[in-house]
Amino acid sequence: MNINIRYKTTWEEEFLQRLKEDGPWANWELYKLAYEVTNYLSIPSFEGLVAPLHLDHVTPLPHQLEVAQTVVEKLNGKAILADEVGLGKTIEAGLILKEYMIRGLVKKVLILVPASLVSQWVRELNEKFYIPAVEQKKSYVWEQCDVVVSSLDTAKRSPHKEIIHGLDYDMVIIDEAHKLKNNKTKNYEFVQNLKKKFCLLLTATPIQNRIEEIFNLVSLLKPGHLGNEQLFHDMFKKKGRNIRDDEHLRELVNKVMIRNRRIDTGIEWSKRHVETIWIQFSKAEQALYDAISQIRSSFSIPTSSFSILTLQREACSSREAVYITLKKMLDKKDEAPQLPEKIIRNLMGYIDQVTKNSKAEKTVELIQNINDKVIIFTEYRATQLYLQWFLKQHGITSVPFRGGFKRGKKDWMKDLFKNRAQVLIATEAGGEGINLQFCNHIINYDLPWNPMRLEQRIGRIHRLGQERDVFIYNMATKNTVEEHILKLLYEKINLFERVIGELDSILAKLDLRNIHEHIEDIMIQSSSEGEMKIKMENLAAILNFGEQLQQAENN
Amino acid sequence: MQQAQISTFLKRFFQATNCPIIEEKNGYFTVQLTVEMDKELMNRPFYWHYLEKTGGTPNPMKLTFITDSKEAPEDVKGEWIHFGSPRLHQIFAATKKMSSYIRLYEQTAASKANVPLHPWIGMNVTISYICDKKKDQTYSLGLHLINGRIVENFQEQLEKIHLTPKIPDFCFTITPLITPKSGLTRLKHYVIKKIEEDDHRWAEEARERMNADLALLEHFYEDLDEKPSVYWTEKKAIQELYEPRIEIEVHNGGIFYLSSDSIIH
Repeated sequence: MNINIRYKTTWEEEFLQRLKEDGPWANWELYKLAYEVTNYLSIPSFEGLVAPLHLDHVTPLPHQLEVAQTVVEKLNGKAILADEVGLGKTIEAGLILKEYMIRGLVKKVLILVPASLVSQWVRELNEKFYIPAVEQKKSYVWEQCDVVVSSLDTAKRSPHKEIIHGLDYDMVIIDEAHKLKNNKTKNYEFVQNLKKKFCLLLTATPIQNRIEEIFNLVSLLKPGHLGNEQLFHDMFKKKGRNIRDDEHLRELVNKVMIRNRRIDTGIEWSKRHVETIWIQFSKAEQALYDAISQIRSSFSIPTSSFSILTLQREACSSREAVYITLKKMLDKKDEAPQLPEKIIRNLMGYIDQVTKNSKAEKTVELIQNINDKVIIFTEYRATQLYLQWFLKQHGITSVPFRGGFKRGKKDWMKDLFKNRAQVLIATEAGGEGINLQFCNHIINYDLPWNPMRLEQRIGRIHRLGQERDVFIYNMATKNTVEEHILKLLYEKINLFERVIGELDSILAKLDLRNIHEHIEDIMIQSSSEGEMKIKMENLAAILNFGEQLQQAENN
Repeated sequence: MQQAQISTFLKRFFQATNCPIIEEKNGYFTVQLTVEMDKELMNRPFYWHYLEKTGGTPNPMKLTFITDSKEAPEDVKGEWIHFGSPRLHQIFAATKKMSSYIRLYEQTAASKANVPLHPWIGMNVTISYICDKKKDQTYSLGLHLINGRIVENFQEQLEKIHLTPKIPDFCFTITPLITPKSGLTRLKHYVIKKIEEDDHRWAEEARERMNADLALLEHFYEDLDEKPSVYWTEKKAIQELYEPRIEIEVHNGGIFYLSSDSIIH
């Protein structure tokens, strides 16, 4: 038997010392209790999970327990956790970490997550798992604390980077790991140089279709598992781009990646109700919109057609949004002007004529009817500010939320919304990374052109833990670009009825991640309404085809 | 560990550490800590330092434990305690720290004749088998310091005997033939022999996993003549992750003087 045996002699030495000095000796009752403690804490088997016995604030779901057990027993603690959004990857990671900590295999841990999620991770690990995780705030924390949560952006910068690379980690957990798909980036290099025994990479984005991306991710976890770069290139990349086509490669990937899909978990989800609320412009609003549309037909420079499209969308949101964009154009007129100043001044004139916001009025009415917490999503900061003011005029309390807020402020806004305010007004970036299950109403004040972003919005409230039905209200203005988007895209592909994550896998399958660019293209390039309709219908047909492929595969 | 067991454990712990239970109702109880236990559990060294410097009256804290959240009234302010609570594990650690070494005598029923008590060393050991996984085995061993006999499940047998910290009247202890020091060596050899007799496929399997990962790593960097530092970092991490090892730790133990017929097995 060639195994290193370490017999700790500290007890023996002290015991002999005490015999010589005749004590001090312990109390018999405590001695018996200590023996019981030893038996309670010893774990007699390599297999199985003991972590659930230590948890009372969280009851892991069967698929989460299964993931944790598989990672510990079969994957040697090195895994990509790729469950669909909302199935609780954080819980799975927490369970695995807890298991290793209880068994004494893991002490020093580094957890890298998006900045907006740092405090949430710290809180969940502490409250749900009794893991004393701390947020990295001072540089001594890296060395002095055992379980540290930080953003990748902070960690990879000097002087943190040098300190971290000098430490030995028992476990590294990286959330949103799909950001590491490119092996030429600083992020990638930073993670590659971490000294880590166990490693969990969390991602909701199905990466299985992008062959280089999966190669890079797996190579962080287990270098060589998919061969080296050259061989991998020769073996797989040349043959085709789809991993699904290659049985062997798929098998290899499945040895390090676990992906649960919603349909596999058998969990009952609360219902989702979707309602479109049509807005009719006032005369002045319509005049502004038409004035913008008219520039389109009189100009044909591609750069300005994008600006015009933006202005059209903004006109559906608020006159304030249009105004800010126009003002920016005027301020930047030293550069090549996007629109002639005369036209901009002319539009400003139309803005002055607008005295009310029909959409905002409808929104207030809606919020008053809901009489419960509501999240409003808008694409524009100017609209966000306007709405906050407008709601206040009607005695409705609201808090703003933006991606640009610092961590602490985000948490504070979330708490204010939870405890004090009726409405949270979020801009797009604010839509990612916070969980707001305590609310079950969303108003899409304007619609994003990237359906994935819409899915993220819904995902904030329609996730595990949402016990009530979810209500989604889409505000769309008649006879505008919004109508096209809503009717031709969202209604055709049934986006609102889909479960979260489904669209993502369809888009990935079709290699159509940049779908919003296609949509913009259609809007800009189409010379007539009819052309636009046909192109949009084609796009919808492609998506439906993707869905059929997906279904065929699932069966 | 069930809630009822936790409740019993805590009450026994505080009784043994002289902390009176001042209130006990359905699902919760409150305990008055002694100065010593306050220092051990409440983590407020500055307070105690200040108090000792100024000579003030010590005011050790009270602790309320909720052991059954359904039974306990809602307005009770206290710590909900269960198997995963950091507080419980702190008390576990304190229990172990305070009871590593012991000396006890059997309280015999003898009333006149001189009763000889035989010296034993008892110790409670955990053997941990560690690679990327881990399992523990616990042993409670006793060694007769006259005839060298080693018995297992020693603790269970001790707990059936009435033991006392002072040598009882009418009893005398026999001087050990085996010194405690060599007794400890015998016990250590016994443990290691136990380990050697065990099945160690787990270690072979761990090495197989290690070699598989190392082979992949070699392959990943095989085209490079000079290996980058990442290679060496990763290689070391793989070795540390899988390399099987065994750790033996004595939790507590002591010397026990027992009458000749007490320990049979």
